[in-house]
Amino acid sequence: MSAFRVTLQRSGIGLPKKTNAVLKYLGLTHRGAVRYTDITPSYATQILRVKELVKVDIVPRRLTRQEHNATLKTNSGYVVEKQTSERK
Amino acid sequence: MFGPFKPSNVLLGGLLWKIPWRMSPNQKYRQRRRLKAVDQVIATVDEGLKSKGMTSKLLDRLKAEVPLESEMLPRDKYTTFSRQEKGYRIGLHRVQKWTRKTIRVNPKGF
Repeated sequence: MSAFRVTLQRSGIGLPKKTNAVLKYLGLTHRGAVRYTDITPSYATQILRVKELVKVDIVPRRLTRQEHNATLKTNSGYVVEKQTSERK
Repeated sequence: MFGPFKPSNVLLGGLLWKIPWRMSPNQKYRQRRRLKAVDQVIATVDEGLKSKGMTSKLLDRLKAEVPLESEMLPRDKYTTFSRQEKGYRIGLHRVQKWTRKTIRVNPKGF
C-alpha cells in the first residue's frame, strides 16, 4: 500500500497554463503543499510533468490531512502528567 | 567626475541591463543541484512504479531521452543551443524560466 508523497518546492507562477493545470489536478496549490497519491501510472505521469517543481518520496501509505499534520508537530518539551478539573 | 554622479553607461544611456555571457560558479552550483533534483524525482517515480510492476509512457521516454546530471558534459549543463547566436550556443541563464525547465539535449548535429 505504498504511496507517493509529493511536495511543491517551486511555484508554478508564470509557467504555461498546462503546467498549472497539472498542479491544480495534483492539488498542489502553493509552495510547500503536500499531497499523497497512489502509485499508479497516471499519477506518475502527472508528477513527471511537473518534475522541476516537486519533490517526491515513497512512503508506506497515504496519510490523511490530520495524520500528516501530526507528523509536522515538534516536541513541545514537556509532558502533562495530570490535569486538574477545577480551574479558576 | 567622481562620486555618485560620475558618468557610467547606465547613467548616460538610460536603461541598460546586462546579462553576463557565462554563469557564475554559484549559479552553476545551483544549476547542478536542480539537475540532480530532477534526476531524483525521475528515479523515485521509476522506483515506485517498478515496485508495483508498472510503467508509464512518459517515464520510459524520459529515461531514454534525458541524460543524468553525472553523464552530462559541462557544455550541456550550462549552455544551450540557440539558432540566433554566432556559434549556436548561449548561456542557459539567458533562457526564459531556465530554472524551471529541463533543457539537456541538443538538436541533432549541434
